[in-house]
This record gives sequence, structure tokens and C-alpha cells, in this order.
Amino acid sequence: MPGPCQIAVSCRHVACTASGGLGVAMGEAGPEHVTITIDGVSHEVPAGALVIKAAQDRGTYIPRFCWHERMNPVGMCRMCLVEVQGPRGPMLVTACTNNVADGMVVDTRGPTVKKAQEAVLEFLLANHPLDCPVCDKGGECPLQDQAFSHGPGESRFVEIKRNFAKPIPISDLVLLDRERCILCARCTRFSDEISGDPLIEFKSRANVTEVNTFPDLPFSSYFSGNTIQICPVGALTSAQYRFRARPWDLQMVESSGMHDTAHPRLSVQVSQNEVLRLVGVDNDATNHGWLSDKDRFGFQYLTSEERLTMPLVRQDGQLVETTWAEALDRVAERIGLIRDEDGGEVFAVIGGGHGTNEDAYAISKFARVVLETNNVDARLDDALSSHFLAATADRGLIADIDGADTILLWGPDLKEEHPTLYLRVRRAAQELGVRLVVIHPRATGLDDRASMKLTYRPGGGFALLDEVADGKHPELRQALSADRVVAIVGQASFADGPQLAESVAAYVRNKAGSARILPLARRGNIFGALDMGLAPDLLPGRVAPDHAGRAALAESWGEPPAARGKDTRAMLEGIDSGEIRFLLLVGADPVRDVPDPRRALLAMDSAEYVVSIDLFLNDSNREADVVLPAAGFAEKDGTVTNLEGRVQKVNVIAPIPGQGRPDWAILDDLAERAGRPIGLANAESIAKEISEVAPAYTGITWDHLEWEARDGAVVPLSGSQPLSHIPVALKGDNAPTAPLLLHVGRTLYDDGVMLRHSPSLRPLARGAVVHLNPEDAKKAGAQDGHPVRVVTSHGEGEFSAILDEGTPEGVVYVPFNQPGGAPLGTDAVVRVTAVGR
Amino acid sequence: MSHWSEATQERAREIIARYPQKRSAVMPLLYLAMAEEGYLTNEGMEEVARWVDITPAQVQAVATFYTMYKRRPTGRYLVSCCTSISCMLLGGDDVLHAVEDESGVPHGETGADGLLSVEHVECIGACGGAPAVQVNYELIEGVTPDKARDLVRWLDTARPDVVNTDEMQELFGGVRSFDWAIREGEGAKGPYPAFQALGTVGREGET
Ligand code: SF4
Ligand code: FES
Ligand code: FES
Repeated sequence: MPGPCQIAVSCRHVACTASGGLGVAMGEAGPEHVTITIDGVSHEVPAGALVIKAAQDRGTYIPRFCWHERMNPVGMCRMCLVEVQGPRGPMLVTACTNNVADGMVVDTRGPTVKKAQEAVLEFLLANHPLDCPVCDKGGECPLQDQAFSHGPGESRFVEIKRNFAKPIPISDLVLLDRERCILCARCTRFSDEISGDPLIEFKSRANVTEVNTFPDLPFSSYFSGNTIQICPVGALTSAQYRFRARPWDLQMVESSGMHDTAHPRLSVQVSQNEVLRLVGVDNDATNHGWLSDKDRFGFQYLTSEERLTMPLVRQDGQLVETTWAEALDRVAERIGLIRDEDGGEVFAVIGGGHGTNEDAYAISKFARVVLETNNVDARLDDALSSHFLAATADRGLIADIDGADTILLWGPDLKEEHPTLYLRVRRAAQELGVRLVVIHPRATGLDDRASMKLTYRPGGGFALLDEVADGKHPELRQALSADRVVAIVGQASFADGPQLAESVAAYVRNKAGSARILPLARRGNIFGALDMGLAPDLLPGRVAPDHAGRAALAESWGEPPAARGKDTRAMLEGIDSGEIRFLLLVGADPVRDVPDPRRALLAMDSAEYVVSIDLFLNDSNREADVVLPAAGFAEKDGTVTNLEGRVQKVNVIAPIPGQGRPDWAILDDLAERAGRPIGLANAESIAKEISEVAPAYTGITWDHLEWEARDGAVVPLSGSQPLSHIPVALKGDNAPTAPLLLHVGRTLYDDGVMLRHSPSLRPLARGAVVHLNPEDAKKAGAQDGHPVRVVTSHGEGEFSAILDEGTPEGVVYVPFNQPGGAPLGTDAVVRVTAVGR
Repeated sequence: MSHWSEATQERAREIIARYPQKRSAVMPLLYLAMAEEGYLTNEGMEEVARWVDITPAQVQAVATFYTMYKRRPTGRYLVSCCTSISCMLLGGDDVLHAVEDESGVPHGETGADGLLSVEHVECIGACGGAPAVQVNYELIEGVTPDKARDLVRWLDTARPDVVNTDEMQELFGGVRSFDWAIREGEGAKGPYPAFQALGTVGREGET
């Protein structure tokens, strides 16, 4: 575990982020090195490092089971014993709990060490069953490997081994085989130290010790899959992957998770053309090797029977399969017709936040060049302003979290919406001593690590910010006057307008000039999409579509349209009012996804012509005129950009089912047929075009990402036209007042189209529930688990009540977009009545 | 929403207040949970988890590690016979067998009438006075098999509300390595150790 960065003290950066964080910077710092001898060879190693780590970094691998680089050492398994020359002669010590000291002499493979290793393995195998042939871990099992490389080869134990029922499910996703467990405490430490939900623990003692959950309290952690990955034996296995493949059958490629805007690095593993599992890849920049269960298990939709495989066109009221040529010609013809009649202003493009940058670039170019419109938006009416997201001044890096004095988190519950960031912030607050301030309308997953927590009533964010500015919360002000402040801001609740986050950022920036801002948004590649110009007021490279911006693009695009574009909400309203005649949806389902679906429903009903590029039929494109099958995750190459502006490569490894094609290829073909070719030959050449056209992306080519910048390259903020933040005046006086106010928030698992088609995760959605403070429940006559009616001016429905101390009095919390849950819109004023009384 | 009596809740609050971190109170609270229900139930562990703000799995980890937290109903008197080395060398096993035989309760179990539980335990720190036996964790040293039978019969007939180490030592004890410095007035009221602070000590009528 690297210590605090010594350079950071005098460094303007919040953390040393030059090439991925503190660890690297520290290794280079001159004076803090000591000399040790490992197996007769002398090495310079960082002072204070653990022997096991120092040896590993100098090329000597010491076997281990319990030690894991991203967790605190415990010294449980004794596999890492090495011989060290001490003042009283040589002695065996655990390399994972002892720090290097100057002049230390370490032996990792002499006869004493060898004997110790053999003994440890013989003991571990005394109870471990020899069921490797039917164990999912076989072939990639540290116990198997190390028994082979360091074990005695034979056992003297003839006694009967421990017997347990095998395997038992400890959650919907994880199976536990206690016979195989070697009690290394990796899983229990992970859930305690890293994810903060210690639902599995050791039970009993001595030779009956086992890992288990509390009876009837399953291991329902959002991060449970990590324990499967780090378990050094086959004790914890994946229900989803069980008996699906052997490691040697798998082909794999590195990529980035797309459920989360942090883009955790992972390995996509495929057998017989089918993605079978995703495994976290350790990197300093984003995820430290961890994945949320949504990122890990949420890929089954790719092989769903319901994937679209053929282009569909509407014929006699029905969607029928047809050829690409027929479908695209129809659309091209319609585009030509409408454009000739009404020009570009009547076209609208919504979506593009789930694809690659290359896809987004194609959409952006297609909209501007072929449709002649700036009516394009990758946000679905639930995001902060595009300028703020794409180009906020002083945007921070994820790694800045580690070196901060104060983290201000005013936005959604990270555990529910941004799990990668959640783990980073949790670690900073718990292990690195960073002061964490959480501001949210109700309890969040980080409250237990926060040194300060403020709640406010939904819609009352501005009022609270006014109070803070007026000095009513001196502790908070003081926390924000620290040197290194990182503000993570986003929309905490639909009742808070999108401007609140910007005002918070502006306030923080005024308090602490060196503050770093991390704005939050939803949809996997939303930041890449915005960088490619998928917003009415952005062109590729975070450039405003003003005269200069358009002129710069003119050479490669022809002059882009000058008219002001509409955002998603304005487009949906425009469709309803007849101003918009043609809608192109790219991987977007506004009916399920916008906060107030009434508008989207009206729009879909009244739209003249709708074309959808998607993986599935959904509530928005079921009535479309043409539906085109697209390529999904792992089915296409490309780049993606995460919330800190880090561009990473995603890779293809599985075939697209049926006749599906990548978005860019569909749009290129369509442009050609519409008589306005956009000249996109393949994804790599698009990346090259992006690097030439989009100022911020200069120099970012696939070659660079594949060979030089394995952890991705952070796109600099200053393009040719840096957009700066427009401060918003504080306005705390129009907070809604009513006895009960509605807080609608997202949860990790919902009824989104990808999860709906992922059988492992589908049952984990919360369902139609409403959280009520017990006092409010009493007033409404509501009982825990019983149905209540929830009514706003935007919608109403029946929900099952959960009595919850974490929801303050006067606040009603409803998780968004749940199976069976009626949409309630964005109105904060709400009424709750018990049903059946 | 606690299921505990008001007195137990008050004690829980007092105990938690003594520690800088709530979770440090997990062990004393587990005794409270035991005293409340006679043994440690899953509900009891969940209750402790709520009080000290950790997960029930974490409480279970502690509760199952220590053998003195009984997760099955225990008799009114818990007779623990030491069979570790010193006691074993001086006939601890015979003492255990005598207790089992006289009471008809094999070790690890509880009699059908709920009066007696018998267990064999590892060293209870009375090696100098081996063989040693405890009743509700009140110690008796220098016990012989015959005295052990007397002890069982006495528990069955006298059924004292409170067992006290000095009293039992006089009645059933034998050779001790040295005399105890202070005579103990108080004794244990149930099959859990007598802790003043937890209210698990005392004579009849006291709390
Ligand atoms: S289940 Fe696996 S990770 Fe957990 S303690 Fe056992 S061997 Fe270690
Ligand atoms: S790796 Fe050092 S004791 Fe387990
Ligand atoms: S061996 Fe019995 S008390 Fe120590």
C-alpha cells in the first residue's frame, strides 16, 4: 500500500496524477529507498514497502493466498513465509506483514523456506477436497497452481476431510462451497474494507470454522462478484458462470465496463462466440480491479433471444423483416423528402450515450451533414448542462479523490448510480483519512464513512446552498476551505433542477480556488457522446457551434448548420406540437428513461416518422416506422471517454447476432443512400478523423491507446475554444413547500432495457416500492410491506411501503423505473394514502 | 424497536456509553442478549447488531467464536468440567464421567427437565487446583468423582437461586494450590458468567 505522496504537498495538482496516481509518483521519489537483498541479489526498494510487494516489483514472486494488493494484509494463510536474517539469526516471517528495512537479507527459496511452504500447503490440503475436475476454479486456481509449484506433491493425511453441504447459494449470484475454503479472509475483508457491506463473515472456530452469511440474510451486496474473483480457491463461484467453460476454452480481450461512466477496466471472456463472463482488470486510474455486479453480470442481454437481428420496416401497421437495402432506402428517401420540404429544423436525434465515441461521432456528423440539424442530444432530460459536463473548468481526475483533504459529494447516491466511484470515495474516507461531506435528501451508501452529512428536502437544494453561503454551516465552510477539495456534483433528485450542481460547483470553486470538480451523469458513454457533439450546443471536441467552431469544421464536414438546436425535452415537445417531423433514436428509450415520461409518450404517439437503431424493441420504438439492429458491447471496436475525460479502448470479441451492424456503419450507409456521404470507412479511421477534427482529441489514436496509454489517455480540457463555466445565481426562495415531498432516485438495478434482458440481474430490481419515514407512515396509515397509493400532479400508482429511518420525515423516496412501478414525474409535491382502508 | 426489557435496554445504553466506538460493546451486549432470553437466539444477535451498528453476520462471527455464548437453550445450571492437561492428569475425565453418569446428561447436552447442562471445557485457569469444575462459571477446585456426584445431587435437590464459588468450594471442593485472597459474596444467577456491570450477578431479589 503506497504511503501518502510526499510530492503532493508542494504540488499544484490535488494528487500526483501524471501517470495514474500516487503509487507511481512515490516510487520515483529519491530519498526514501532502502537496499535489501533478495535471494542474494541486492535491490533498491521503496522504504516501508511490504516484503512481498517489494519482491514482486523486483521480479520475485512469493506465493500467497490471503494477501491482495488492494487490501490490508492479515497474515492468515502463512503461504508467504520467507527467511530473513534477524539479530538472533535467521527466522521465518510472513512477507505480507513485514516491511522492508535497510540491509535486510531475504531468502525466498532456500531449503528452510521450501520446507515451510510445503508444510503450509500440506496443511491447507488436509481439508481441501480434491474435486478440481468439477470445480469452476480449476485451471485458474491459485491453490492448484501453488500446490503444483510449491507443494510437497504428496500428503501424509489419511484422515477424513471436513464435510459441508455443497454448494450453498449465499445470494442470487454467488455460490459457496465451504469444503474448498482455505479461510484466507479475502472475501470477508473485501466486503468489510472495500465495499462496506460485511454480510459474510467467519463463523465458529478451529477446525469447524467456515465462511457464511447470517441465517436468512443473503450476501446481497452490489459488489459480491469481486469475492468470486479474488477467492484463491473455488469456494466462491458464480451462479451465472457455473459449469459454462474452462479457462483454457476462453478467449479474452480487455475492454471497459459500460454501465458506469467511470469505465472500469475489465476482461471480456468468450467461448464459442458467446460472452460468458467479465472479470475486473486492476488499474490505478479507475477501478483498482473491482467491478460492481451490474458491470460484472449485466451482459446477458447480448445473447438474449429477443435481440434484433434483422432490419424491420412498418408494413400494414406491422413491423416486418426486410433487407438492409430496402430499409435504408426507405429512410433515405423520407429524409430527402422532408429535408426538401422543411429543411433541417424538423429533424431530431436522441441517444448515442451508450455507444462508442466513433458511433457518437458518426451520429453527430450524420445529424449535422445529412439531416442539417443541431437538434441532437445524448442526454435524456435528466442531466446537467452539456457545457458543464463536457467542459467544466478544473475538472478533476478520479485519482484526485485519493489525495484530497475534503471530498464534497452533493449528488446522487454513488452506491446506486456510480459504483466505481463509490468504492474510490469509500476507500479515500476509510483508508486514506480524507474528510468526506455528503449532502443528499436521504440516507446514502457512504453515510457511515462521512465525517459530515447534511440532508435537505427535495427541491430545497438551493435554499441549503444559500444557507451555506450565509455562513450557517461553519463546519462545512471550513471543510471547503481546505487546500485540496474535490467536489463530486450531480443531480441528487429529480426535484432539484440541473442547475443546482453547477451552482454548488461555482460555490466550491469560489471558496477554494484549487478545487477539482467531478460532474456526474448517467449512461455509459455520455461524456464521450458529448465530446463528439451529441448536444445541441456542442460540436466535436467540446467546441461551441458558434461561427469559429463551425468554420473550423467546415473543411471536413462542409459548413455545419447554424440554427440553434433543441435538447431532448424541446425535441419531445416539438414532436408533439408538430414542429419536429422526423425522429432518429439511437439506443434510446425515452419512454422508460426520461424523468417525466408523459412528454415522451405523447411524442411517440404523435411522431410523423420514427427510425430507431437499437438492440431491442422497447417501449419507445415499438411503434417506429423503421427499426435497425445494432451492435452491442464487445461486438464492436472503438474508444470511450469516462467522467474524468479518460479515453480508453473497447474491443470486439463476439459476433453481432444476425445482420446487426455498428451504429456508425448504419449511418454511413444511410448517408450514402441519402446522397450526402459522410465518408466513414471503419471505426479506426473514424478515430483518426476525430483526432484531426476534435481539438481536445488531438493525438489520441488507437495505436496510442493500445501501445502507450494502456490505462487510457486523459483528454485535456483546453481545446481550441475552452468552454468556461457560466455561474448561476443562487435562488433558494422557490423551494416547494408541502407536508410531503417526493424524492425520486435511481438504483443500481432497475427496469432498463439491458437489465430487463439479463436474467441474473432482472430479479434484483427493487420493484414498485416507496420508502416512508415511520412517522409519516403512521400519519398515512401505511404499514411496512403493505400497498400505498402515491399521487403527484404528474402521475400516480400503487407501491409497496417500506418503513425506513433513512428517509427523513416529510420525504417520500421512490426508486426510479422499477418493474411494476408507475412513473411519478418530476413534481416534488406528493400525497400518500394507505390502500384498502 | 427493541425486544428487550426496559432494564436490559438501560444496561445496554450504559455499556455502549463506556466505549469510544459502539461496536466495542458487542461482547457485553451478547451476554445481555443471553441473559434476556436464556440463550443466544438469532433475534438476539440481530438485536445486538442494531444496538452496536454492525451487521448480524459480524455479530455472529463474534458469538460463534466464543464457546461461552450459548446458542442453544442451556439448563438452569451449566456444569463445566475441565479436561485440559493438568485436570486430565489428575482425573478430570473421571470427574466428567461422574457428572454425566449421576445426572444422566452426556456432555454437550441438557437434561430433559432443563435443570442441568454438562460440558467439558478447555483450561479454565485453575490448573493449580486441578481437577476443576464450574457451575455457571463459579469455580470449584480439587473435585473428586464422588464430590462431583454430590454436587449434581445438591443442584437437583437444593436448586439454589444463586450459585456461589465459596459456598460450593466448601461443600464439594478439595485440595487447592493456594487460598483465595478475597471471599466472594456474590454468585451467578444463571448459566452465564456473573458480571456486576451486566447485572448478571447477585443474590435472590437483587439485580
Ligand atoms: S471463501 Fe474464498 S476468499 Fe473467502 S475465506 Fe474462503 S478461500 Fe478465502
Ligand atoms: S499471504 Fe502472507 S500470510 Fe497469507
Ligand atoms: S487444565 Fe484444567 S484448569 Fe487448567
